[in-house]
Amino acid sequence: EATRALCALGDPEAAGTLVKVLGFNNPAVAGVATQGLIQLGRDIVPTLLVSLDARNYGARAWVVKVLSALRDPRGLDLLEHALNADIAPSVRRSATRGLADLEIDPSLKDQQLQRCMQGLLKAGHDDEWVVRYAAAFGLEQRLRTTTVDPSIADQAVAMLQNLASDAEDARVVRHRAVLALQRLNLE
Amino acid sequence: MEPLTESQVIENLRQTEDPSAQYYAAWWLGKMRSQHPDAIPLLLATLGALDDSPVDPDRRGVALNAIRAMGLLKDERTDGALLDRLHSNDYSVREEAARSLGTMGSHAAAEAIRSLLASGLDGAGREQPSTPLLQEPCEALLEALGDIGINDAATLATIKPFTRHHRPLICSAACRALLQLTGDSCWGEQLTQLLLHPEALVRRGALLDLGAAGWTAAVPMIQAAAVEPSLKLVALRGIAENSGNQQVLDVMDALL
Repeated sequence: EATRALCALGDPEAAGTLVKVLGFNNPAVAGVATQGLIQLGRDIVPTLLVSLDARNYGARAWVVKVLSALRDPRGLDLLEHALNADIAPSVRRSATRGLADLEIDPSLKDQQLQRCMQGLLKAGHDDEWVVRYAAAFGLEQRLRTTTVDPSIADQAVAMLQNLASDAEDARVVRHRAVLALQRLNLE
Repeated sequence: MEPLTESQVIENLRQTEDPSAQYYAAWWLGKMRSQHPDAIPLLLATLGALDDSPVDPDRRGVALNAIRAMGLLKDERTDGALLDRLHSNDYSVREEAARSLGTMGSHAAAEAIRSLLASGLDGAGREQPSTPLLQEPCEALLEALGDIGINDAATLATIKPFTRHHRPLICSAACRALLQLTGDSCWGEQLTQLLLHPEALVRRGALLDLGAAGWTAAVPMIQAAAVEPSLKLVALRGIAENSGNQQVLDVMDALL
């Protein structure tokens, strides 16, 4: 209830407190706080960028989720780092989702898009099925909505074909990659 | 640190000086679904430590990991050893053996598992004095019966009393098994009630049980439950793979 009240304030200064709430190992409360943070909008991105809790992967996953939902280009470094280095699959999954949706800064378009695509290709090789699932989602998303450099687009399609094949262990990842190829009219 | 190669892992399991290296090796072979010709014989060899007196706690840990790996490798050469271990006097060994036999869908194990549960709520389901354990690892045994998938009258009659156990996670396991075996939605509805339980642990357990049973009608309730997205994704994976329903993938996309 206190969390709901804090969210209702709509005050960016409440962001720090809401981030602390994400660390309580209480999914009901964390879900409310996450929605509250997303509603506060991009003003809170600087707060989020300095508030990753190194000892609590549950909290990190929620923070990366908020950052992904806000789609702010300032989150790119953190999302890339989270995908490359975080030991928790839930954090890498949320980071992959973020790279799929991140709004690209028009002045840095080529470079930022390239980094998002490289991240998604890397996620396609992850050990955990849920990160590869997010990669299939993300590659579809980027190929459908943006014009990607042809050499990267070829790599993206090859990755989706690989995720759709018997080389992929998890049936649900194969299903998702097949769906992506269908939606891209590549099958 | 460089990742180990399969042949290094095999050698780590073969040696007996360093149980922690064996412990990791047993886990690795299961996780990676190793097809190495020595994997199964070496995993089986670790079980001998369970018959020592007294049992060495480190070697017991290796054996428990080996039992889990056998469940993932699904090799019929391990059937006999796992069946024997259902009668171990070590609760955790019985529990892990039941889980592995369930994962393997071992029809040969069904009767032995049923007999461990046959004493019902006042026997198998009774609490052991001054520990959090029940007399038998009921959750693992119930889940195994659901996974094995024999839906004869004797199996159903053995499981049903546990839907009224005073511990919600035992009820959840029993409902999951009955839903898998009969497809009767009344068990699914009882599981979805547990998604509203005040304790997060119970909500998480019920959510994973709904996923394991692959009950498509539960998707909206899973979506709305107050549980971490990572667990919802695991549950929905089970339903997506069971049903082949594309709408489940859309729900999963929204949770990433």
